[in-house]
Amino acid sequence: MPSPHHKHVHEISVEHLDVGYDGNVILSDLSFTIPKGSITAIIGPNGSGKSTLMKAMLGLIPFDKGKVTISGHSVKDTYGKIGYVPQRFDVDQSFPITVREFLELALKHKEHSERIKEVLGEVGLNPITVGRMQIGALSGGQMQRVLIARAIMTDPDILFLDEPATGIDVAGEQSIFELLEHLQNDHATTIVMISHEVNVIEKHVDNVICLNRGLVCSGPPAKALSNKVMKELYGDHYERHDHKH
Amino acid sequence: MLDILGFPFMQRALVAGIIVGVLLAALGVYVVVRKMAFFGDGIAHASLAGIALGLLVGFAPLPVAVVYAVAVALAIYWFEQNTKLNSDTIIGIFFTASMALGVVLMSLIPGFQPELISFLFGNILSISTSDVVTVSILAAIILTWLLIFKKQLTYISLDKDSAKISGINTTLHNILFYVALAISVVLGVKILGIILVSALLLIPAATSRLLTSTFNGFFWTAIVASTLCVILGLLLSFFLNAPSGATIILVSTAAFFIVALVTKISRT
Repeated sequence: MPSPHHKHVHEISVEHLDVGYDGNVILSDLSFTIPKGSITAIIGPNGSGKSTLMKAMLGLIPFDKGKVTISGHSVKDTYGKIGYVPQRFDVDQSFPITVREFLELALKHKEHSERIKEVLGEVGLNPITVGRMQIGALSGGQMQRVLIARAIMTDPDILFLDEPATGIDVAGEQSIFELLEHLQNDHATTIVMISHEVNVIEKHVDNVICLNRGLVCSGPPAKALSNKVMKELYGDHYERHDHKH
Repeated sequence: MLDILGFPFMQRALVAGIIVGVLLAALGVYVVVRKMAFFGDGIAHASLAGIALGLLVGFAPLPVAVVYAVAVALAIYWFEQNTKLNSDTIIGIFFTASMALGVVLMSLIPGFQPELISFLFGNILSISTSDVVTVSILAAIILTWLLIFKKQLTYISLDKDSAKISGINTTLHNILFYVALAISVVLGVKILGIILVSALLLIPAATSRLLTSTFNGFFWTAIVASTLCVILGLLLSFFLNAPSGATIILVSTAAFFIVALVTKISRT
């Protein structure tokens, strides 16, 4: 695996982005920058356009106006250097494939059994027992880790994750955030994630993008997530909790 | 029993049957995981218009049907990508419209058309040497593509977005898959008939799905199952003097039920 010193650390820039679907505006005039090497969380209430923003940033859906660049290049030019972790419900778990075969899909060549063992170990799964399992037999937490393992098989420069902690218990959630911090610190990976866990992400991310169809806030969580912003995002019923793990 | 292999028509039938069986099973694995069963049926029925057009203009119906089916497959793909309609609706429209066009074209052909009937129900024993050559060349091209890009096609079938972000040209491979499927179904129409061809696309893959837990096992077991069913079905049809296409499908179905029963019993 290349050392972090050989890795390109990228800044992601979104400028005046408009995304619509079927005549409806979903995101309007969105501009922000994701600092290189950071962990950034995109937050917002249901229907605020978080998944649409991530898909537009990844070039998976067209946008009406604006541009998304990664270190000055179009996103499509960086395909192959990006890792993507979809929501686990987006992957058909009835597909007849073992974890090992699933991870091989991300590799260019077949002779990488050592890499599969290494990555499964890195995400905290037993390479022997879990490697042989069908993906349909995995628990929610195991499947989430396998999806992360697939995304980091090629040691990507940037990792995008769509709600990686959804449906995972508190301990599982904590270990996923620890894994992301390990990727940031030891692999110099820039990480962008969608999250609903506002109270948890404050402790683990460097930067937040708050959405509610448009940009509500951006910056370090301690500064950006003021009570006023949180009420604007989630209404008067929002309560801040201090999670202790 | 081996005497029957001395008949040239039987040799041609076996060669063409095995090649088409391998082709349909290999693609059928992806049809099953992508939940595209109706696509095979739709393309087979749509090919009636191509066959009727070939017969009407006095051209070999198989190549005309291949071209027509590829055009329909590409049109289905375009509508899937560019409209809000779901795949089943689009296939249903092309399926019925092409059948209607086929019926109108058939009505313009004077006299009884035995070749048309053979396309409806298949007649593997009427396969000519030039048919075997056509089937072999097209199957070799499709299987070579499939084996080279099997991993990419598997990735796209499982998780299209991640495959695209990993650098795979998902649009190109999806279009090639639709084209390969259309060609293979039409090649199967000559042997199994419009009505029965999609069975060989689905049943060996479904049987294999019950037996295997890895994707590689699923892929290769479907091919072996299909080959065995074609050989056994063809031999049985000869000895029972039964229609060959239908016998192959009945043998495949019997194998599916036996495997389903045995796997259920062995797990209880």
